[in-house]
Amino acid sequence: MTDDVMISLENVSKRYRGQKAPAVENVSMTIRRGEIVVLVGPSGCGKTTTMKMINRLIEPSSGRICVDGADVTSLDGTELRRRIGYVIQQGGLFPHMSVATNVGMVPKMLGWSRRRIDERVDELLHLVGLEPGQYRNRLPRQLSGGQQQRVGVARALAADPPVMLMDEPFGATDPLTRDRLQNEFLRLQEKLQKTIVFVTHDFDEAIKMGTRIAVLGERSRIRQFDTPERLLAEPADKTVGQFIGAGAALKQLNLRRVDAVEWNEAELMHRDESPTAVLRRLDESGAWAVLTVDSERRPLRWVGPRDLEPGQTSLDGVGIPVAVVEPRATLQDALDAMLGAGCGASVVVDDDGRYRGVLDIESLMRAIRDMREVERDRDRGMAEAPPRLPRQSDGSRDSASVRTLESR
Amino acid sequence: MTASTLAAGTATPSRWPGLLRRHSAMPLVIAAALLGTYLWVRSSRLDDIEQRSLNATTLLRLLRQHLELTAVTTVVVVVLAVGAGILLTRPALRWLAPGATALANIGQATPAIGLLVLLSIWLGIGFTTALIGLIAYAVLPVLQNTIVGINQVDRSLVQAGKGIGMSPLAVLVRVELPLALPVIMAGIRTALVLAVGVATLAAFINVGGLGELIVTGIKLQRASVLVTGAVLTAALALALDWLGGLISDLLRPRGVA
Ligand SMILES: Nc1ncnc2c1ncn2[C@@H]1O[C@H](COP(=O)(O)OP(=O)(O)O)[C@@H](O)[C@H]1O
Ligand SMILES: [Mg+2]
Repeated sequence: MTDDVMISLENVSKRYRGQKAPAVENVSMTIRRGEIVVLVGPSGCGKTTTMKMINRLIEPSSGRICVDGADVTSLDGTELRRRIGYVIQQGGLFPHMSVATNVGMVPKMLGWSRRRIDERVDELLHLVGLEPGQYRNRLPRQLSGGQQQRVGVARALAADPPVMLMDEPFGATDPLTRDRLQNEFLRLQEKLQKTIVFVTHDFDEAIKMGTRIAVLGERSRIRQFDTPERLLAEPADKTVGQFIGAGAALKQLNLRRVDAVEWNEAELMHRDESPTAVLRRLDESGAWAVLTVDSERRPLRWVGPRDLEPGQTSLDGVGIPVAVVEPRATLQDALDAMLGAGCGASVVVDDDGRYRGVLDIESLMRAIRDMREVERDRDRGMAEAPPRLPRQSDGSRDSASVRTLESR
Repeated sequence: MTASTLAAGTATPSRWPGLLRRHSAMPLVIAAALLGTYLWVRSSRLDDIEQRSLNATTLLRLLRQHLELTAVTTVVVVVLAVGAGILLTRPALRWLAPGATALANIGQATPAIGLLVLLSIWLGIGFTTALIGLIAYAVLPVLQNTIVGINQVDRSLVQAGKGIGMSPLAVLVRVELPLALPVIMAGIRTALVLAVGVATLAAFINVGGLGELIVTGIKLQRASVLVTGAVLTAALALALDWLGGLISDLLRPRGVA
């Protein structure tokens, strides 16, 4: 076994007691150190069962699973699970314990000192973007869904496990929150470099989160195990194609991140400048609008010539509010933000919300054109080959209807 | 932060006002009933027989006997039934639970007086016999509520506990039992009230207790003795139930409805 393999499954099967067909049949895969492998497939196909066998919440009926070179059946289950982070839908937080107690649970089991636990809890809450002073003593029900989810992630990270298992971790949150959690988590993962097995039934989420994606069919059979790019460009068979659904090009917006395309510069002006100065700047630069910022260079509003009336003395409340995206966000996020704000440009900001650049609809269109070229080349190349990307035959179904398989 | 609008500050509001509101009525009701009975007995002329029963020494002795019987029963029942309930919710023994509740149900379904008589034929009369009868009678609600209380804990929380690396014992003590506590406490309260009521029957097998007043009252046709016995028993049952409710609320973990 090579050094960079973190988790390996060899011919793993699971048959639940009293059931004729196995829930998982003969699955083999290797997961490398530091990658996010997404298990994606329709509801009931055995994703959760496959994942739970890795930390022995479920014992396999046959086959072998190794984590970090050791056969998991040779280890004590509880000990094993302390070295593997575990996140489930809605965080699985204990409702009768404070945020701090929840997060500090594993360190406590490991016998850490009180002080060390407290420090670690604060550190982790910081890490997931929750101010410790404000949230440490709250009960889970005093948090929003997204915040609960973040605490769930913090709890899983408590003992700094090299491996994390995440079972539809962001499944119970609304789309906007889910996007934010996904972006935050990817940013976190850049720092942490954990080996992650991530289960979802949402193909868009798989594309966004996965270093590699395993598309699973019935009984967890692996239909294709590939990078998102290759999965979109070359679905292995009809079922995978169906799963990807229509609009593969549009989905590729999920693959490109904002920092991978060219940004433009906006004409920045401080919010305290006068309307006359704005008009002068618009005139000089030929820009369609200026971007007002505060003293920290955080973007506020777009102000165009038509937003300014004669005799106006201040820029307060003038213009349209900006849509902001982070460099880590996908082009899909950027497009959503633009559509949401009703404005053909998103402002790219750093972690502190400061201005970095502007992504406008033209750059986005250019990126889409590039991707369509790739797709067209591929379609031409596959013209004679039978497995073509199938289209939805039912005209009433659009690409949105295949976003989540489980909800249909 | 948007979250600050969700819950103001970190301090949870004090639980005392709610406790006071929920638990202040019952002591008044009990006090009123006792006072009313006392004044009524006081105002009537008592004959010899009545005086022999209705004096402070006798009443306190009977009350003490009654409390002893109830307390020992409750302690034994809690230990036995909660322990059994925990065992019967472990994955390995879960299949035994229906059989065990059915067995406990036999004790409950048999008429209490019949059970006591049968036991005394077998074991002779005395404190131990009364105790065994009471335990058999009061074990079901605690056993059943322990099983139900633990089983109603969200399975995903138990899985989460196990999943993050808590030992089975830690999951039981830190997750399952605290979350099942309100239901278990309700079972214990039911058992307490049952025990107080059924303990009156102990008088029939010469173990004393407040039932003696009732038996005397009926046999010798003295309403004042009968009513005093009945009121004291009812007041004791209500008082213990009230105490149980208070303790249950005090023990209830934060964040559990
Ligand atoms: N504890 C269990 N006992 C029996 N059958 C189960 C159990 N858990 C899951 N299954 C069955 O195994 C199959 C796979 O389930 P699961 O792994 O939860 O799928 P997924 O996570 O992909 O939705 C389903 O048919 C489900 O009904
Ligand atoms: Mg699942």
